[in-house]
Amino acid sequence: MINDKDSQKIVDFIQNFARKQSLFVMAYGTGCGAIEIPATMTSRYDAERFGIRGAATPRQADVLLITGYLATKTLKRVIRVYEQMQEPKYVIGFGSCTINGGMYFDSYNTINALEQYIPVDVYINGCMPRPESVISGFVKLQELIQQGKADNGKKYRENLEWYRANQKKIIKNWKMPDYNW
Amino acid sequence: MTELIKEQHLLDTITNTFKLKGRVIRDRRVEVFADKELVSSILLFAKNQQGFIHLAHMTCIDWIDENKFELIYTIWSPVEKIHLFVKTKIDRENPEMENIDSIWDQANTYEREMREMFGIQFPGLIGEQDFVLEDWDEMPPMRKDFDTAKYASETYFQRPGREDAKDVRETISERSGTKVPDFAKKYSREK
Repeated sequence: MINDKDSQKIVDFIQNFARKQSLFVMAYGTGCGAIEIPATMTSRYDAERFGIRGAATPRQADVLLITGYLATKTLKRVIRVYEQMQEPKYVIGFGSCTINGGMYFDSYNTINALEQYIPVDVYINGCMPRPESVISGFVKLQELIQQGKADNGKKYRENLEWYRANQKKIIKNWKMPDYNW
Repeated sequence: MTELIKEQHLLDTITNTFKLKGRVIRDRRVEVFADKELVSSILLFAKNQQGFIHLAHMTCIDWIDENKFELIYTIWSPVEKIHLFVKTKIDRENPEMENIDSIWDQANTYEREMREMFGIQFPGLIGEQDFVLEDWDEMPPMRKDFDTAKYASETYFQRPGREDAKDVRETISERSGTKVPDFAKKYSREK
């Protein structure tokens, strides 16, 4: 029954609909952007009407928000968190710093382009993006999920060697566990 | 301007004891310039005799033209309410300075930071070699001759800029097929 082409379409539609309506965001703030999250979550903008809410641990979360500059030291923790998350998993790059380094473009200790290290679904520009932009980024992510285009967990698994090579260029002393998803 | 009696008195006491140069910067700010061998004696004298019981800050400046590092010890007296700056210059090649964490424990943290960021050695300093940075094997990054932009462009991936280099509002409006509203044109870069 499921192998039938049309019924697979229906199953996918329902699956994607369910996924996009309950985005659990990993409660992990890097840099200064995490200060916009309380504003987005609380009553004025009320992100929960889009199904966006916090999750305590990586294994329960769907979305990883990278909310600002990433020091090389933090990148290590972010990779660790990202690899612990269960699929389907999505990454939102938040603020100028994740896009091109922002005001830390020439810093010796912050990375400049996030998608070279972990796959990114949606970028939200601005320094800082206001809660409206944050919500619009989430809505964009929901569209991608509904269309079935947000499958970066799979992309990461398949291109793991390329990502690992980039990550190890920055993190020289690599002492991290290997996961077999 | 009020007479800076207690500041002047403190400056005279320290400069006469150690034969130093110094000045009163303004009220509640006094600085003295010392050789590096004298610094720990001055700090002990200030702490035990003059009531400067608190080490507020320790920092380093890279004077690359003079080929010197300047170390600044900021100490505070809660009774006199004066900040005393003890400044000393040390050589930039093989920089070494006396470890003062037996006088104030918190100096350990500042000294570890300076060891990592400027490469100044403090003999007898306890603590891991890595303080804030991880796996750093380049020149200490806060030195002036460390080219941070060059290092970043070589180490991290750079994103190329937009080719049109136009005002971002016009790019967005072209892409989405909408007009830039009149009130927004007022702020446009292209007049």
